[in-house]
Amino acid sequence: MVMRISENMKFNTIVNNMFKSQDSYNKLSEKIGTMKKINRPSDDPIGMNKVLNLRESRASIKQYTRNIEGSESWLTITESRLTHAGNLLVKAREVAAAQSTATATVETRNFEADTMQQIMEELLVIANSKYGGRYLFSGTKTQEVPFSSSVTLAAETGVAVAADGNTFDGVAASGGDYTGSANKTYVVKIIDGGAIGAATYQISSEGGKADSWSATSIVPANGEIFLGDGMDMTFTAGSTDLATNDIFYVNAKTPGNYDGNDGELSIGIGEGTSFAYSISGEAAFTNKGGGNVDIFNILNKLKLALENNEPDVIASCIDDIEASSDQITKNISSCGTRMNRLEIAKSNLIDLDYNLAELISDTEDADMSEIITKLAMKETALQATYATASKIGSLTILDFLR
Amino acid sequence: MSGISALNIAKDALLSHQTAINLVGTNIANANTPGYTRQRPVFNTLNPSVEVGKIERVYDKFLEVQINEQMHNMGYSEARKDELDSIEMIFNEADGGGINELLNKFWSAWEDLSANPSGQAEKQALVSISQSLTSIFHSYSNEIRSIQDNVNTQIPFLVDQINNYASDITDINARISEYENNGTKDTGLNSLKDQRENFLSELAGIVDFHYIENSNGSISVFLSNGMPLVEGDQVWELDVVTKNHTSNPSFYDVVFKDDSNKEVINSIVTNGKLAGLLEIRDNGAEGYLTRLNNLASSIVNEINAKHKLGYDMNQNLGEDFFDATKIEAGNIEVSQAILSDINKIAASGTVNGDGDNASMIGAIKDELLMDDGHSTINNYHASIVGRIGQDVADANRNFDRHTNLASQLTNKRDGISGVSIDEEMMNLVRFQTGYNAAAKFFSATDELVDTLMSLVR
Repeated sequence: MVMRISENMKFNTIVNNMFKSQDSYNKLSEKIGTMKKINRPSDDPIGMNKVLNLRESRASIKQYTRNIEGSESWLTITESRLTHAGNLLVKAREVAAAQSTATATVETRNFEADTMQQIMEELLVIANSKYGGRYLFSGTKTQEVPFSSSVTLAAETGVAVAADGNTFDGVAASGGDYTGSANKTYVVKIIDGGAIGAATYQISSEGGKADSWSATSIVPANGEIFLGDGMDMTFTAGSTDLATNDIFYVNAKTPGNYDGNDGELSIGIGEGTSFAYSISGEAAFTNKGGGNVDIFNILNKLKLALENNEPDVIASCIDDIEASSDQITKNISSCGTRMNRLEIAKSNLIDLDYNLAELISDTEDADMSEIITKLAMKETALQATYATASKIGSLTILDFLR
Repeated sequence: MSGISALNIAKDALLSHQTAINLVGTNIANANTPGYTRQRPVFNTLNPSVEVGKIERVYDKFLEVQINEQMHNMGYSEARKDELDSIEMIFNEADGGGINELLNKFWSAWEDLSANPSGQAEKQALVSISQSLTSIFHSYSNEIRSIQDNVNTQIPFLVDQINNYASDITDINARISEYENNGTKDTGLNSLKDQRENFLSELAGIVDFHYIENSNGSISVFLSNGMPLVEGDQVWELDVVTKNHTSNPSFYDVVFKDDSNKEVINSIVTNGKLAGLLEIRDNGAEGYLTRLNNLASSIVNEINAKHKLGYDMNQNLGEDFFDATKIEAGNIEVSQAILSDINKIAASGTVNGDGDNASMIGAIKDELLMDDGHSTINNYHASIVGRIGQDVADANRNFDRHTNLASQLTNKRDGISGVSIDEEMMNLVRFQTGYNAAAKFFSATDELVDTLMSLVR
């Protein structure tokens, strides 16, 4: 049977075709305008999801790269400070070598004692250098001046400090003699608040790090708890009881002039990869925490020997000063090694970033040549539709009925 | 056979062809009337003469049912498409910006703080990024809510429309059954039926139903579960109530006006625009909001938990970074304590003021916390966007498909019921010829009678 064609059909078909052609033409020109094939999530939901995740990865990489650049500056400054320290030690060795000989006199030695005093002062300035408001060599206690000019001979148990926000208003006092081998911060955290004799607490010997807490114990009735390494802390009741999350801490120091700690500053340089970028002042300048020679002590010994005119002692300092130089050199090379590692990590990140950028582009960017070809095709189709539309109605039986 | 009866034949032929020519006129006049069904005369031999026995509407009843079915689908998918398009605009992060970018900045701000834990600038930056993050959550949530409200306000209007169409159909039912009782044959009945088809098809765009034609020519319309909306000349109106809607007390529910229990019948509206709007309001938008809330509450809980493990500038243990009582996208807030004193940010992992805790918090971005340990916070957000994109793409595809089907079916109906000018012209020629012949016959018969009469004189 022949299909009847009604007037509405003719017009509707033409109009529908025009709309369809225009719609796909517009979609293509939008893509050309934005140069993107994903202009809204529904254009390619899976692609959009992928792009968002890739963008997150790129943002992480950007941050890691920034972290690396920050660490690199820190290490560059550290290296130059240590190099300067090494130069001072070379000077000190020259003084020791010259003044240990028979040609030196009391006057030259007295004169060089002053030189040594200046060298020591300069070294102290170097060891107390700051970068970006933080001390380079104080471990993780970056706001604490790492080296003092006075040397303490005995270990020190610091004063017990109660954190600002504590509820407890009684007295916490530290006691005992510190027997540990490195500078540490002991933290007491109240777990369940209550009166002395009822409250419970935990102790951390690592400054209160999340995974360093001891088992929970009850504060004894006499208020005295043992921190470990020979130290204790005693609570004396005030008007308010100990409360949950009250924090008390004690800085314990080994003999010497180092006030920092043996912690290392670290930063994320990749997913799950943290990188320690600081050089501990303890390892660089003292005989603890990985160091072998207490450099300030040696220099002081040399200075005293010069003042007291003791050639034998001066001569014995030469080896020690060489050992000091070695220690500084070792730390300088450690800076270099770390910078190499950062450099490698950074170039990996740059490669990865490039790959990710390419992946994002593949997913969301439009293939212009393809789209322009398609657009040309749609244009032809649209023109044909218009041509047909203009003919409609011009051919009817009315023209032939007279 | 007498000459007089021949005159009668001529009269019937003339009248019948006149009717047919009038119908051609009616058809041409209505060639562009939407929903008009063409009519044609049915000539019956009335031995030995002729009559137009009835004026037939040329239509396919089953096609009407199919078209109504497509109208349900179109109404449903168009409502969904329109509303989802608006939701997609909220979540359109194709050009960057949005939650994804702010989350990335948020994590970076923690990393920056970890590199300089005592830095006031870093803390200030972290707080302002956090505030931007919370405010973008608010605006996403508010915009979804306002789309829901928008959809909600359309519902009483649609219910009104349903009632209007239903009562229009009832009116027409009454008039049609009158015609059928009287047995009147004219184009009036057909035009009433056309009107009723139109109303049914409009109604079909709003709500799904099926209908049956009764013996008196009226129809009864039933909702999907068989509850009647129209029974002959009786209409059962719908109404909206705001009662204990699970997600929002201001949301309208559909009920029957005469139902004293006001039993909610949202679930029996399964297709058409009304169903589409109900679906978007109660599942679509609500679902996205739930996911956004999950995201917000995970961020609050995870960051707070880690933040409490660290120490602030004054060696106190960290408190909540985000207000722990506000865990929805609509109200997530940085805690007042942090806002009034940025030194309460617990960046340090020890009382010594390092940046380890900030770095731990920054690393939350890589933890598989969402979807039962299968995705990170950022992944989860990307999957919300992906899901919306998928829903919109599906809705667009459905809409296109149903539109195409509907226009094919409409075309098919036009093929059967629509007016073709060419055809009408041919009919005009045919009926005109018939009319001319009948007139010629009349004058021939007249002459015969004259001749006969002159014999008598």
